[in-house]
Amino acid sequence: MESVVNDYISRELVSKPELLPLKNDTLLLEAGILDSLSVLRLVLFLEQQFSIVVAPEELIPENFETVEAICAYLRAQQQGQRA
Amino acid sequence: MAYLLHQFLLASARHSPGKVAVISGEQSLSYGELDALADKLAGMLRARRVAPGDRVGIYVSKSLASVVGIFAILKTGACYVPLDPGAPAQRLAYIIRDSGITTLLTSAAKVAGIQAMFPDDCPLSTVVLVDCDLPPERWPTMVPTPAGVAVVSWKEIIAWSATPLPENLAIETDTAYILYTSGSTGTPKGVMISHRNSLTFVDWAAECVGLTAADRVSSHAPLHFDLSIFDIFSSCRAGATIILVPEGALTFPVQLAKLIERERITVWYSVPSVLSLLVLYGNLAAYDLSSLRVIIFAGEVFPVKYLRQLMAALPQTRYLNWYGPTETNVCTSYEVPLLDPERTSPIPIGKACPNTEVFAVNSAGEKVTTAGEAGELYVRGPSLMQSYWGHSEETAKVLIRNPFQPHFHELVYKTGDIVTLDVDGNYIYLGREDGMIKTRGYRVELGEIETVLYGHPAIKEVAVLPVPDDVLSNRLRAVISPYEGVELTREEVLAFCNQQLPHYMVPDVIEFREVLPKTSTGKTDRIRLVQSFSS
Repeated sequence: MESVVNDYISRELVSKPELLPLKNDTLLLEAGILDSLSVLRLVLFLEQQFSIVVAPEELIPENFETVEAICAYLRAQQQGQRA
Repeated sequence: MAYLLHQFLLASARHSPGKVAVISGEQSLSYGELDALADKLAGMLRARRVAPGDRVGIYVSKSLASVVGIFAILKTGACYVPLDPGAPAQRLAYIIRDSGITTLLTSAAKVAGIQAMFPDDCPLSTVVLVDCDLPPERWPTMVPTPAGVAVVSWKEIIAWSATPLPENLAIETDTAYILYTSGSTGTPKGVMISHRNSLTFVDWAAECVGLTAADRVSSHAPLHFDLSIFDIFSSCRAGATIILVPEGALTFPVQLAKLIERERITVWYSVPSVLSLLVLYGNLAAYDLSSLRVIIFAGEVFPVKYLRQLMAALPQTRYLNWYGPTETNVCTSYEVPLLDPERTSPIPIGKACPNTEVFAVNSAGEKVTTAGEAGELYVRGPSLMQSYWGHSEETAKVLIRNPFQPHFHELVYKTGDIVTLDVDGNYIYLGREDGMIKTRGYRVELGEIETVLYGHPAIKEVAVLPVPDDVLSNRLRAVISPYEGVELTREEVLAFCNQQLPHYMVPDVIEFREVLPKTSTGKTDRIRLVQSFSS
């Protein structure tokens, strides 16, 4: 899962080559990789790729801080759906 | 009566020196403090030979420094040129050279960017560090700057005398600021706005909104965007408090909702896409946004469905739709009434502001007077820009002699926007005939992006087209035909664009084709291209 998310962000959202290769614990907001437009594109990708729905109250910095944080959020979502 | 923008600061500082003028995060400046700092910086700039008529650049992120810098530059009689802190170095270098900037205000956080702009042959003579947002222990002692450039530290500025400069260094017809916008021929062009041009808008806007000293006005728009003129100068005129919203702080719409609630913002002015995102993802029901008494939007069409949701969530707020290109600032206004739940038609841009006239001219050269008839919108009045910096030919294409007034040489501005009238006499925006579009409220000339891409050695042909988007008004799609046998990847194209264009002008979608469809006259058939997207 981490590599799918990392790969998407590296390919689609990173505009500065010096930020690659992207680490799973790189702070995406501080590095300027996530802004208001790229966050929405990422959400769209995550929803399509992992069959989840991101609710407005879940669109918060904590869930998108790093690739690891995104995956923790995704796993929690998928578990919630199974139950 | 103020005839220069910075006279509002002097008046507010005299009237209420202890009143909070600007808030940036945890820090703030009172009107008295802001005026004193601006006086010190202005005195220092003048000692460094900044003279009336000079162009002084501002290269800082949204911060107290940006506001101090703006007023200091105006006090010297020079004009300020705000540089987009997020733009690539190449673009900023172009703007600095084009406008003849030799003195640049910046901060510890941004100064390293200057080396990137000028690897050799730097046109700057002085770099001034405005680090009022930093505590003294974090003021830099050494900064990397190109050779031959003098650096003035904030420590020196603080120690300077706060004796105000003479008031008559500028007059109202002098340039106050130059705002660079997208240019269709490949490089941005600087819109020169005088104090008188600006005050025409600033005064009207403050009255229209009924700004008072009790207001808390957000400053969301970047300084190189003319929405900031209301945020800073109309607020200062009223003695209100400005709450700066830093660029990165609003990546998540809930952060915006939290900020409005925490700071008890009373007046919000931004592009519609920010508000649409707030409605969709801001979780509005969880926050108390009752402090908002006016929401103003401008810059692009606000989709009715999102406006309706916003109005339902915040029913106690007034909603104003403002329209006007950078060349005139806002020239028409429309107050949105309670919306019919069935309504899908776009919100009108309304009627001319006081002290401005607008009219539409149809293809026969006559003024549009009947509802439903379409024409190009023209603007007449004191808010019209002086000129595009260094582009008299381009200027002459849009600032033309008023065709309806034969007695003396009077200028009117051709907006290039096609409008129609409704039965109440409100203008309605229909579209444009050229390659200028809006994306997320930003003005983009498709031709500028295409010219940049044509600069790539592997690209034989390219067309950049808008793809209408529900929330962001338009996304950008580039269709590229590379030279035969040449390998070109998406990543290479994106990297190339990111070096020269601001992020909002970098295409979202890149498509490669062997050949672009042509019309019978051999030009790229853009209509067929757009049609091929949906199939």
